[in-house]
Amino acid sequence: MSDNLSYVQISSSVNPSFWNKLSELKLNVYKLDESKHSIWGYHTIINSTSCPITLMEVDSTSFNREFTAHNQYLPFHGWILNTNTIEQFKECDKVELINSEGHKLYQHIINEDVFKDTSLLNRFFILSFADLKKFHYYYWFSFPVPRHVVVEKIDACDLENVFSPEEVETLHSAYKNLDCTQRSYFIVKKESGKMLEICTLAFQLKSITLEDKDNYYFVFHNISNDKNAVGSPFRNYVAFLLYYCDFLQNKIVNFISFNLSRTGSQVTCRKSIVYKLKLPMKTKDFYTSWVGWEKNERDKMGPKLANMKNTLDPSVIAENAVDLNLKLMKWNLLPSIDLDNIKKTKCLLLGAGTLGCSVARTLLGWGVRDITFVDNSTVSFSNPVRQSLFTYQDSVDMKSKSKAAADNLKNIFPGVNSVGHQLTIPMPGHSVGESLLEQTKESVKKLTQLIKDHDAIFLLLDSRESRWLPTLIGNVENKILINAALGFDSYLVMRHGVYSQNDTIQASDHPEGCKVITGNNLACYFCCDVTAPGDSLKGRTLDQQCTVTRPGVSQIAGALAVELLISVLQHKHGVLAPAYYSTAQTVPMQEMTASGDSVLGLVPHSIRGFLSSFEQILPATEKYKNCVACSDLVINEYKEKQMEFLLNVFNSSKHLEDVALLTEMFKDTDFEEVLEFSDEDFSA
Amino acid sequence: MITLDDMSLSIEDFNRCIEDIVNTSDNLIDGWRFEQNEELENGKYIIKKEQKVLSQDQEDDINHVLTFEYHIAFNISYGVPVLCFNVWKQDGTMLTVEEFWKLNERFKESNMYDTITQMDHPVLRRPFFTLHPCRTHEIMEPFLEESKNPVVSWLTVVGPFVHLDLNEEYVKMCS
Ligand SMILES: [Zn+2]
Repeated sequence: MSDNLSYVQISSSVNPSFWNKLSELKLNVYKLDESKHSIWGYHTIINSTSCPITLMEVDSTSFNREFTAHNQYLPFHGWILNTNTIEQFKECDKVELINSEGHKLYQHIINEDVFKDTSLLNRFFILSFADLKKFHYYYWFSFPVPRHVVVEKIDACDLENVFSPEEVETLHSAYKNLDCTQRSYFIVKKESGKMLEICTLAFQLKSITLEDKDNYYFVFHNISNDKNAVGSPFRNYVAFLLYYCDFLQNKIVNFISFNLSRTGSQVTCRKSIVYKLKLPMKTKDFYTSWVGWEKNERDKMGPKLANMKNTLDPSVIAENAVDLNLKLMKWNLLPSIDLDNIKKTKCLLLGAGTLGCSVARTLLGWGVRDITFVDNSTVSFSNPVRQSLFTYQDSVDMKSKSKAAADNLKNIFPGVNSVGHQLTIPMPGHSVGESLLEQTKESVKKLTQLIKDHDAIFLLLDSRESRWLPTLIGNVENKILINAALGFDSYLVMRHGVYSQNDTIQASDHPEGCKVITGNNLACYFCCDVTAPGDSLKGRTLDQQCTVTRPGVSQIAGALAVELLISVLQHKHGVLAPAYYSTAQTVPMQEMTASGDSVLGLVPHSIRGFLSSFEQILPATEKYKNCVACSDLVINEYKEKQMEFLLNVFNSSKHLEDVALLTEMFKDTDFEEVLEFSDEDFSA
Repeated sequence: MITLDDMSLSIEDFNRCIEDIVNTSDNLIDGWRFEQNEELENGKYIIKKEQKVLSQDQEDDINHVLTFEYHIAFNISYGVPVLCFNVWKQDGTMLTVEEFWKLNERFKESNMYDTITQMDHPVLRRPFFTLHPCRTHEIMEPFLEESKNPVVSWLTVVGPFVHLDLNEEYVKMCS
């Protein structure tokens, strides 16, 4: 008892460019049109040795009018039906669809189209739904073939066992001379004592009779990579042959499974197989019942989903590219760096001026995804040249800086989550009248909430007083505070110590010639500056009020502020990272690569740079017990009295000096000596 | 010091080499074909597609049919050919560089492993897996004088790391 011929199911392979092209056509051409559109499928003419699976590919050229790849591929004729909704995709009648496609193929057979182009027997279609917003493509391939084609395999042997080497050579060269439309299926005529003849179906088929059928071999270009099976379109060939040669039913017929393969640099058809096959009887529904829906990856009859977001959505491509850049740093240079920790750090930028812009851009570079701006001014005509997030048009439109900065940041990188808040930060000594009382309270609440919602707070404001409130609240909330201030040709970048009562972190061994201050004992911006932040805007000359700095200073300081944050984040003690400072001239800081606490090295307390000499120093200062912003005296008063205390301070900075017990101290101190550095050197 | 008489591959040399590759490929029906962006000096490059079955890891015995699309283009700043490629699954989704590395654990010990990264294609300006060009010159140097087709000679060295094997006919072009 002989076996039945087995068929290989075709497996679809979609080139990303196919989805790209489909989206483009859907948007610009098809729109809501739900008709079928002709497409091409491709199967390699040379059977692959590296891939045992029989693939039919589609790509962007599938939508071309003409098939032009005959030298490499066999064409499959197909179409795509792209539905407008997922419901239509689900609900359309799949049986009816494949039967109607089968009927179309039957029409091609009976009206003799197949004689003109034999590849019409190789068919497919795609039912699809494209969710263009999500870049999700639901799709289902079908390769329609008649349901009832059971063919009995009587005999199978190698081509060279039936034909002489010369005949094999004739077959191959005659194949090459065939018109492209006739290469998929053709006929070989072999009569004893005569030369082998290769003819088209159109030329020969109708003259074959039951008596001389054994002189003929029906050739099909086999697409199966499995030697023991033939591609499923063979069934269409049988349907076609039985239509024109009814007498072949239930008869044994010669076939050649034509197979091109490569041996070394030679392409030959020697691996072809000659079959003796017993063709079936045509059932009643032979031409009306069709099958061929492709199974999905779970081997079930069902559609597939291609999620092309990573490949096609430009904003996702940008996000992945940014992440990859950082990962390359991790893979190549710093295997232990924690990029996720950086990525998830939410940053609040108080001030969206030169410093704010520069800080935001550097944060983007590190992969930070949440950046919030607070500012109360609008973009002026002088801003765009120095403030790297703004354009001329923003100044024409008088956009608010915080909003413009957030919008432009998203233009630069859509993956960022950036928001701008127009807000004036209440300041000590800027008295609050009745009319402003509610608004001031509102601003305090909003700022407090913003600080609570973020992990790192950047103080990038243009006056000293406006830094006071965020310094206090940030300290109480135990946030990382990074402060940057600018002079004409100098800058100060520092991190504030945190308010942490119960910390036991001891600095690890430190090198000789340097001292260390633990993270909770570090000074804040105000510690070194003794007087309470009064109204520094009053009574100043113009150049003290406005930012008059060498343009590069803000870029340097902004970048350093971010790098300082990153070093804090990568330190194993985070915000409590101790700061080392050199006490001897003989120990350069570069050599203080102390401890394995951080992959990025030391975390200084402050960085001061001077462009007049292009020098930079890294002083560290301890918390001042009478500090107007971070001392326990002030913090406890704030914790106790809250808004009442704040309003008192806003109305008079003298109140702050009282609370911090500075008033008492000034009685017996020479004011000028206490002042280590004045904020006038470091106004933003 | 930078010397100008340093041996290197000119764009003209490169274009001639890839033209020879396409000619040989046409005879072999091997699938290499030309693409060109006429606005760029280094706009000519060649493409070939190949399907392979690689299994992702031991426990999962599903075979993944992957399509590799190889591009050979010219990187002007390094003055060397670049081998870029993309790999996609049957549904058209692309492999990430991490997924690709996972498939190529066997190369982990070789120093070629860490030179496979993702870079922008010199002509298409989109991210592709790339054999980082920094070591290409070093590999190419001996071929510049000896080989009639230094691009092919270089490919025979680096190709196997990205599953690209060249037919012996190409190798014959070099001598
Ligand atoms: Zn302080």
